[in-house]
Amino acid sequence: MSSLRVELEQRAQRLRAAGTRLQSRSASEVLAVLCDLLDAWSDPASVWRTRLERELPGATGFSPEVVREGLSRGLAAFTGDRLRELVARELRPGDLGFPLTSVLLAGSIPMPSLLSLVLPLVLRSPVLAKTASRDPVSPHVFAETIGELDAELRRCIDVVSFPGEDADCSRVLLSSDCVVATGSDETMSEIERRVPAHTRLIRHGHAMSVAALGPETDADKDLSDAAVRLALDISLWDQLGCLSPLAVFVEDAAGGRSEQLAASLADALAHAQERLPRGEIAPASAAAIAHERDEARMRAAAGQRIVVHASADTSWTAVLEPDAQWRPVPLHRFVRIHPVDSREALLEALAPLHRHLACVGLEGFAEAGPEIARTLCERGASRVCRFGEMQSPPLGWERGNSPLCRPLVQPA
Amino acid sequence: MSHPERAELDARIATWMRESDWCEDEERFEELALALFAYQFENCPPYARFCRARDATPAKVRLAGWRDIPRVPTGAFKEMALRCFPEARTVKTFRTSGTSTAKRGELHLDRLDLYEASLLATIRRFLFPDLDQGERMLVRVLAPSPAEAPDSSLSHMFGCTVDQLGAAGSGYDMAAGKLMARALMERLAEAQRADRPVALCGTAFAFVHLLESGGARAHACALPAGSRVMETGGFKGRAGERTRDELYAAIEQMLGIPPDRIVNQYGMTELGSQFYDSNLQTPDGPRRKLEPPWARVRIIDPESGRDLAPGEIGMIAIHDLANVGSVAAIQTADLGRLCAEGGFEALGREPGAEARGCSVAVDAMLGPAPARGSGSAPARRSGPAPARGSGSA
Repeated sequence: MSSLRVELEQRAQRLRAAGTRLQSRSASEVLAVLCDLLDAWSDPASVWRTRLERELPGATGFSPEVVREGLSRGLAAFTGDRLRELVARELRPGDLGFPLTSVLLAGSIPMPSLLSLVLPLVLRSPVLAKTASRDPVSPHVFAETIGELDAELRRCIDVVSFPGEDADCSRVLLSSDCVVATGSDETMSEIERRVPAHTRLIRHGHAMSVAALGPETDADKDLSDAAVRLALDISLWDQLGCLSPLAVFVEDAAGGRSEQLAASLADALAHAQERLPRGEIAPASAAAIAHERDEARMRAAAGQRIVVHASADTSWTAVLEPDAQWRPVPLHRFVRIHPVDSREALLEALAPLHRHLACVGLEGFAEAGPEIARTLCERGASRVCRFGEMQSPPLGWERGNSPLCRPLVQPA
Repeated sequence: MSHPERAELDARIATWMRESDWCEDEERFEELALALFAYQFENCPPYARFCRARDATPAKVRLAGWRDIPRVPTGAFKEMALRCFPEARTVKTFRTSGTSTAKRGELHLDRLDLYEASLLATIRRFLFPDLDQGERMLVRVLAPSPAEAPDSSLSHMFGCTVDQLGAAGSGYDMAAGKLMARALMERLAEAQRADRPVALCGTAFAFVHLLESGGARAHACALPAGSRVMETGGFKGRAGERTRDELYAAIEQMLGIPPDRIVNQYGMTELGSQFYDSNLQTPDGPRRKLEPPWARVRIIDPESGRDLAPGEIGMIAIHDLANVGSVAAIQTADLGRLCAEGGFEALGREPGAEARGCSVAVDAMLGPAPARGSGSAPARRSGPAPARGSGSA
């Protein structure tokens, strides 16, 4: 047995003990501390926010500008008031969390991590959190913020790091009463295989988002304005978040509008690159972008109606496709624009994605918009919003169309 | 061959392939590469349009040099028929592996002799450097025969090897998608008793299956000195749960063939030439991939499109004069780096974005459809499938 595993077991024991004391406190008192924490994080002038803005770029590979803008938009709705509303909506007096909740974090975007850490504590369940390899910063800042606000609550969160392949250490985390895990389908299946049968497992799988533009945006100005907001949605977090649109469907029965949008989006992505430079990129990702661009150019040479708009380096790419057929999207600000003939064709094109669809940015459908939004939600999308708002979900956004707090409640 | 220019090109390239003295003749390569580009530009319309869009014509490229010949991404072989001859003249089509619903890359050939001359000259040099002219060796293949998998370039290559270099008793140990591990191990035990060295060839995943087969494990043997293994296939760092080092160690344990007698081949359906580890051909130097003189490997910076210096990681680009009837200049999405001693190292396709975000590329989400031109790994995970993908390090 490794010494790290022994240490982890001891830390888990300490958390359980601290959790017993925590459960003797009132729910409203604990909630008040966590609301204060959210208010501190959402305040751009707070010391914690400044620290996140300073430390996240180096740890995550995002540019400082992207981190600043992403936090500003992402945390704006993460306030104490919104948390109180969520709790009032989902929880009943006396609801308690599990004696110990493990949170396995993934990715490098702070908002999902923040929520994963806050919610078990709301239910007075102590948290053993494993950092994501690309964001060792946020969980530690979170724990330190709590320490500043409430020393006893600070004893109810512990942040650990170890390589994912360390089976010994993973076993300790997976032996908690409740496990909250974020990751790919493959990771989720592996975790599901390894958690004991009695453990409550809450899974947050990978997801994706798209945008759809309706026929009611005829004026050039409208189209250009839509493209600017869409470029912001794509550029924030370098298109690596589950709320980042990977493809744009344009209802374009007459032809021409998808070309227009592609050109406008290319301009907007170029401007966004100046204001919000893309962060570092692995050689494999750059190679995938270069390859997809060349592949599109080759299809164009074969006679397909394809236009490739791209920066000189790999920092942004907009490919106008001839149809609605899905193709690989290598992320890092690479978007495909697909013309569709009709609303029905749009919904049909999205059908293969229903299981993984997070957000749909929707504009230009006028009176038909609400009905399309309803249909998309019925088919799996958990959020529909305007362009430019895709990266600013409300705190209570039910990712995966599931309640946020209820799954963390220990059965009576 | 009705096209006189093509006939002359074929003859000149075939002459080079037949020469036993392999020297890096840059001038000869340049001349042939430019002539081949002019031919392919004239006879492959989609490629010509692709080149024109990049302002690259034979006249302009002739001034700049062969490195400016536009490279076609491997994914394009899935999208269109890249051939310089009428469809009716096709004598063979090789296809990349893939699911029944996914598009598969295709290499169309109007003659096989050049293709086979290239593969035989290369495998002879890098896997059988110790065989005298006319000498043969016992070859066992962990893949289906060409008759069973007629569109697999890998099976075709193994078929040529068995036919041209295999001694009596050579053949295939996979049929109907199943590795016949017990029968293979019995044959190997017989070779051991007869002190006959063996060349074992197959995909990395086929070797994993062999190693994990209970019947095979019970018949571990120590093959005679001079035995060797050639493995190929989409490793992406791991085959099953093993790293390549672990695989080689397990092969040594089960078959008595040490890692320095195991050769990895880097190849892809879209190419007429293959690249082999140097360890049998130049056992004293560091292990690296070597190319035949009629092919050139470059490492390209995906950001700038420029050539990278030895040691720097970038995309592997290949200019293969054996691809006479299709397109010679190929851009893979595989990563690699040049070695200071010559040759290169293939690094596969490490995941890039997944570790940082919670989004995922569309192709990954829609199931097993191969991404970025890679047909190899997904299909091979489920078994020792013989077809070659686009780039298999």
